[in-house]
Amino acid sequence: MAFNFNWSPLIADTDRVRDMLTSSLNKSPKPPIIVDDIIVNELNLGSTPPELEILEIGDLAEDRFRGIFKMSYTGDAYLTLKTRVQANPLNTYLSTKPSFASPQPLAASSGLTIPLQITLSDIRLSGFVILVFSKQKGITLVFRNDPLESLKVSSTFDSIPFVRDYLQKTIESQLRVLFMEDLPAIIHRLSLRMFSPEYQTAENQERSKAVADGEVPVDPFAGPAQQPVDSAGMPLDGSAPFTLDAPTETYASFSQKNLLRLATLTESQRTLSLFTPGMRDTVYRAWASAADREVANDASTPMLSRPPTLSRIQSTLGSQSGWSSAASQTSDVPSTATRPSLASFASAPTVYSLSSGAPRTRPGRKRKNRVVNLRKDKGDGKDVSETASVSSSGYTASASGSAGPSVEAATGPSSLSNTQILREGEINTPPRSPKKKVGFQQQSVDDSARPQRNDSTIRGRPVTPQTRHSSHMQAADDNDDTPRASMILPEKPTEVEEKRPRRPQRQPLPRMQTLQERPRPAQLNRSSSSEVSLQNLATSAFAGEGSNGGILEQAWMMKMATEIAKRVSDEKGKQQAWRPAEGNEGFDGGEAPPAYVS
Amino acid sequence: MLEFMDYVQTAFLAQSRWNIDNSYASLTTTAHHLLDFHIPQGLRLHVSSLSSPRFATSYTLGSRGVVDGSLSFLYSSAGLSIASTSRSVHLESVVRGYRHLQELQRPDERHWNEIWHAGRRVDRKDALLYGRLYLPTSTLEALYLRRISPTRLLRLNCVSDGALPNGGSVLALLQNDYGKYSTEYLYSTDSALLGLRGLYNFGYDPRVPYHQPSARLPAHPWDHQSGRLSAGAEAYFSPVNKSGGVSCGLRFTTLPTHTGFPYTMTLTVNPLMGNLSSTYAVKAGRNLALCSRFDFNVYSYESDVVVGMELWQRKQASVDVAWASKLVRPGWSKVVEDDVNGVLKAQMDNNGKVGLLWECRIKELLVSLGAAFDLKKRERMLGSVGVEVSYSS
Repeated sequence: MAFNFNWSPLIADTDRVRDMLTSSLNKSPKPPIIVDDIIVNELNLGSTPPELEILEIGDLAEDRFRGIFKMSYTGDAYLTLKTRVQANPLNTYLSTKPSFASPQPLAASSGLTIPLQITLSDIRLSGFVILVFSKQKGITLVFRNDPLESLKVSSTFDSIPFVRDYLQKTIESQLRVLFMEDLPAIIHRLSLRMFSPEYQTAENQERSKAVADGEVPVDPFAGPAQQPVDSAGMPLDGSAPFTLDAPTETYASFSQKNLLRLATLTESQRTLSLFTPGMRDTVYRAWASAADREVANDASTPMLSRPPTLSRIQSTLGSQSGWSSAASQTSDVPSTATRPSLASFASAPTVYSLSSGAPRTRPGRKRKNRVVNLRKDKGDGKDVSETASVSSSGYTASASGSAGPSVEAATGPSSLSNTQILREGEINTPPRSPKKKVGFQQQSVDDSARPQRNDSTIRGRPVTPQTRHSSHMQAADDNDDTPRASMILPEKPTEVEEKRPRRPQRQPLPRMQTLQERPRPAQLNRSSSSEVSLQNLATSAFAGEGSNGGILEQAWMMKMATEIAKRVSDEKGKQQAWRPAEGNEGFDGGEAPPAYVS
Repeated sequence: MLEFMDYVQTAFLAQSRWNIDNSYASLTTTAHHLLDFHIPQGLRLHVSSLSSPRFATSYTLGSRGVVDGSLSFLYSSAGLSIASTSRSVHLESVVRGYRHLQELQRPDERHWNEIWHAGRRVDRKDALLYGRLYLPTSTLEALYLRRISPTRLLRLNCVSDGALPNGGSVLALLQNDYGKYSTEYLYSTDSALLGLRGLYNFGYDPRVPYHQPSARLPAHPWDHQSGRLSAGAEAYFSPVNKSGGVSCGLRFTTLPTHTGFPYTMTLTVNPLMGNLSSTYAVKAGRNLALCSRFDFNVYSYESDVVVGMELWQRKQASVDVAWASKLVRPGWSKVVEDDVNGVLKAQMDNNGKVGLLWECRIKELLVSLGAAFDLKKRERMLGSVGVEVSYSS
């Protein structure tokens, strides 16, 4: 992985930074000795860029990034400030005192203002930078320690040693505050101006242009794929010459410690446990961003030539409505990809009613490349299947789409020939209001071959959706025995390996599917099927209680079940107007997800 | 407009025969009143009462973004007999405008105030206590005034505020007024500021009894018969900060015996900072006063001009009784009828800042309505608007 770190445009475009710096310097209350606005007269970032060393990358996606860098700067940047200072000490002294107990001199406190010019140069910085980038929330850059090492201050009063020393001391302390508090705010505002739609202008197309320090990472995945990959994250056969970075490098950048923590997090969320592992500097996000959904549908919408609202419906319902559905996408892909003809035939009748076309339409999407599977292994999911069997009386097919790709791969072609219908309940649950939308999918899978999973989404519990999921490469590369929840079957990589040559034949198919996949009856089918599974849902929820429920949980389940039932009946009632309404809802839901910082 | 508590304090000082004008600190009072008047901001309500001649309370409620307020109490050892209700209070005594200086008075003899009873002195020295609590900032202000002797006044100003270093500060001020000259010594606990002020009046010495103002020869060329020339200086020094300040000033003002229009001229100089400030105020008529001030700094060449005026609007005498009032002997209606409708004050400086203030009485309420403009800011010309309403009983 590499960062495209472009320093020269930063040098050219300092006007905006200067304005921002000026406003930020004048925003905070100034010491009374400064009687005028502080104006940034000159700002030159110099020709030497800061050196950045990547220490850790905690989160990496198209629309977000979090990492820790070590930065050191020994460049030739300089900054000239102009202001006016009050030379009468009595004036500054009295201006901070309450007037009631002030001696109120007649003229002894009359002011004498002196213009002052300060030049800051020879700036030496060294420190750890935490950078969090998100398309919605812009760039957050925080210095973990005080980065200012040394600085040279020269001013109008250099001939007076007392004043010079005082200025040096004061400005150093002020700059420390600036680096620790103001600069993150400036960068955040700048980035918001660049990324958020209302600020977005044509000139902002080059993203990381005007950020003062220039530590804006160019997301390696935002650009063209450095290596052509298929939907399973496998590099295409002929792609070797194009390889810029081996995908293994991407995986290597995941910290094992973080993976462990994330695994703990998903574990705690799979149950109703309220425990949340403490993760510093972490943003818990609810679901994939709206922009992400748009991107996800980009492949399908143009050729479908459908109105954008419809594609949005698609995205909210089928593709990324919840974390379990997102999981199903990833799990779908290998099966369809590896067995194109079979899959299209066998699963066509059901799949069409599913509106789960989006994953199909994304062959070669590069984000599969970097997903991490935090799901339970089939092997260690044994106990899970036991608990699932408790509830399986009314809900035998309660497995969600999150049945891992490895499972899919393991079951082999026979599973696809079996047309037993599996109901898949998934509740699209935004984190704050756990009654947003209900969508149900059916899938043709060999029921017996599937692990019965007591998926927590069935209970409608608000969860933190995960849109990034397992990658098969991970298992292949991962010799580490770090305890984590990824479920990679040992035989899977080889299986994928042997499927790879067939990939090119498969390419045109998904497009055809997506065309057929979204007729109106499909939606009707879907809602009716949801009705069917609703009872199952409730019963399964209660059945699950028997194993691990408290009274509170039970009550909550009840509430949720009735809530969902109400929702579904509502939806059924307005089936005619269902599409537009859903589209709107999807649009509303498409706003930036709330983030929780632990 | 004077707040009620300031009005009561002024009455206390007048009752105890203390001349507040004979001090270097009040050298530029007239210009200060005409140019630096307080413009209200937001809405402010004052409800006050002089419940007994010795005790006054006042409550203030303001809303300037947030609601704030203050409670204040005042105790005076001397009974105050002043018009306290907002219906009867004279607007001239609460609206501070052109300041007419009176002829200097000879300080009282010490024994004049002595009261003996059964061989023991029973008289007490006049004192005033005043406290004010601001909410919600919880700032407490306290004032203690004491007439130690006929020529001496002790003033203690205390502020308690958690935001201040050391939690507050105390200012002690000892004033001596001998008529011919006055001295002040002050000490502030905040950075141990020491101060000294002095004012000397040329010409007439009130302590020499046979010198009658009208029937004497000029002692020297600047001994203006119907005016008074005063010179003063102040010096401050803080041993903690190792900083200080100095200024000196001159004032010439006409006395009531002056036959022409009254005027006041002052010149103050800050030799350390090179600041010169001159004011000229003239009472152009019964209802009009004008004032100007020029500031100049000889080091930075910064200059400043402010002009201001005040206009008194008086009630028209009703037609029915106009003929009768004309026939009345001039000295007969000595009781000053409060015939003022309202006062308009305006000031403008060379930076385009304009202040307007209208103070009047509406039924039983004293209302002051003010606005500040900045003519240089085209888009936001109106800086602030405010109304203050006072009611007292």
